[in-house]
Amino acid sequence: MNIAQQIVNGLVLGSGYACIALGWTILLGVARLVNFAHGQLYMLGAFVTWYAMTKAGLPYPLAIVVAIVTLAALGAVMQSAMLGLVMAQNLTSLMIVTLGLGYVLQGGSAVVFGGNPQTLPGTLSRAKVDLGSLWFTWQDVLVLAATLLLYSAVWLFTKRTRFGSVIRAVAEDPKLAELFGINAKVVYLLVFVFECSAVALGAALVAPRSPILTSMGFNEVIMTFVVVVLGGIGSIGGALVAGLGLGMFIAFFGAFIAQAYTTAAAFAVLLALLVIRPAGLATK
Amino acid sequence: MNRLECSYSTTMPVLRAVGFFALVAIAFLLPRLLGGTAIAYSTLTTIAIFAVMCYGVDIVLSYLGEVSLGHTLFWAAGGYAAANLSVKYGLNGWSTALATMAICITAATFLGVVTLRTREFVFSLVTYAAAVVAYEIAFNWDAIGGSDGVVGISALKLPFGFAIYSGSTQQDLWPVAFILLLITLGFIARFRRSRLGTTALMVQMNPALATSLGINPRKVRLAVFVISAPITGLAGWLYAYQRAYVGPDMFETYFLVMMLTAVVLVGRRILLGPLIGTGILIVQQNLFSLGGDWNKIILGSVLAIVLIFWPAGLIGLFGRFRKNTVAVRAGRLTKAR
Repeated sequence: MNIAQQIVNGLVLGSGYACIALGWTILLGVARLVNFAHGQLYMLGAFVTWYAMTKAGLPYPLAIVVAIVTLAALGAVMQSAMLGLVMAQNLTSLMIVTLGLGYVLQGGSAVVFGGNPQTLPGTLSRAKVDLGSLWFTWQDVLVLAATLLLYSAVWLFTKRTRFGSVIRAVAEDPKLAELFGINAKVVYLLVFVFECSAVALGAALVAPRSPILTSMGFNEVIMTFVVVVLGGIGSIGGALVAGLGLGMFIAFFGAFIAQAYTTAAAFAVLLALLVIRPAGLATK
Repeated sequence: MNRLECSYSTTMPVLRAVGFFALVAIAFLLPRLLGGTAIAYSTLTTIAIFAVMCYGVDIVLSYLGEVSLGHTLFWAAGGYAAANLSVKYGLNGWSTALATMAICITAATFLGVVTLRTREFVFSLVTYAAAVVAYEIAFNWDAIGGSDGVVGISALKLPFGFAIYSGSTQQDLWPVAFILLLITLGFIARFRRSRLGTTALMVQMNPALATSLGINPRKVRLAVFVISAPITGLAGWLYAYQRAYVGPDMFETYFLVMMLTAVVLVGRRILLGPLIGTGILIVQQNLFSLGGDWNKIILGSVLAIVLIFWPAGLIGLFGRFRKNTVAVRAGRLTKAR
């Protein structure tokens, strides 16, 4: 029966990984941009939700909206500052700039929210569901449902709407897209704003499971990397499958081998895949 | 490009040599010139150690144009090698330094080979992830220190056959740090003119030309990455003796952001750039500190602002300023006419 419970745990973990990685997948896949502040944005999303609930006394759904709006605004500011580098496709500088901005976010959050670990209050994360010997919480159900819904919505949007093809045109060649009357700057801005709102939503949904710290961004982001690269860079369906698969792997590894080394195990999977299929991963 | 070909006057080699040695002597006596206090010695020793740490990243970022986010791994590897080997086996400084270099070269080769056929950002991503994973291992593995780290590292001992140099105080460590910095600078200067250095630059500036000349850019990346690792590693090695303590905090993002900021602050591809950048940043953090969190905000902002607004660094800013004043003067001249 323990195995069945681990499958449930894997689904729970995996839907969380996939949920957090969605923004990065879109950013990398359709806009070919990298954001190393992703982990800090996740941290900030969690803390804004926490602040809205405990200090401002807002109910959980409203707090989620506050987090999304705050991070969307922050994303707009960040991307406006970086727009010159984005238009020049200067990936090297962009990686470093986002890393620097992430560090600023970490320091700023410590100033604003203090250095102590906090927990998001949540009735859903305490509401346990018992099915025989299996158990999970209603929060887990919410994360899984939201993840599946978000992924299908985003997949439909990028594949079936005109705006989706506009984004992909800009990713292929921003200069050429501008010749066709597409405002590439606005597209990049919108995609980045979407990334930040998506990670805020992911944080608001996933973070109630564990204590939050302002310094957690550095470590949290690694699972996103693994999901995005494993899923085949930029593939939306791939990221969902990779997220769930990784969750499953981590659940079993943590339960049967070593809980302390789960990140290392995820990294080993990433390395193995890079060696076996570098071309399949490097080219979409 | 002409900034690379330093415009030395080759006509007066003797004068140049004298000037060079005078500069080195003044730099060596700098802590004494600044009052000889313990703070002067410790600040300058820290600057020297951190500058060496930054030169490892400098090689990859400035000359190859790629971003390694995993150099904290080599930095910590140096620290952990020095701490564990000297505390548990009583090895002297030479042996721990050799072990540091061996570990760093092995780790860099492994990471470089694994990412050999991947795109640039995957390389950055894997190096970043490697540092996070190494942190997790160092934090959980009690045999190498665990979450408490290694405490009570004895003074650095460097036997020379007839005598043993012992660096127990900051004052005694300063010559070691200074010589390590000089060796690093010499190595970087040599690297800039080496075949690998010029090839790396060509790969960065004109990848098409490099490929057409039969160069494999990814092999160049591997080679540059591997030689950069022990430089940062040796800095971590000396840092362990300076602090007499090594712990998982050596993996902190602070060191990564510090390395990148010091390299881009003054300007890339300038020999003394990372040293001056480190000096500015350490002086701010040690003498004009605003507290840990505000220092983070400053350091991260400097990094982002420099890259967004003055990609050529302070040198580029200075150049632009000079060009402007020249233009203004020229404008005045034409008006006067």
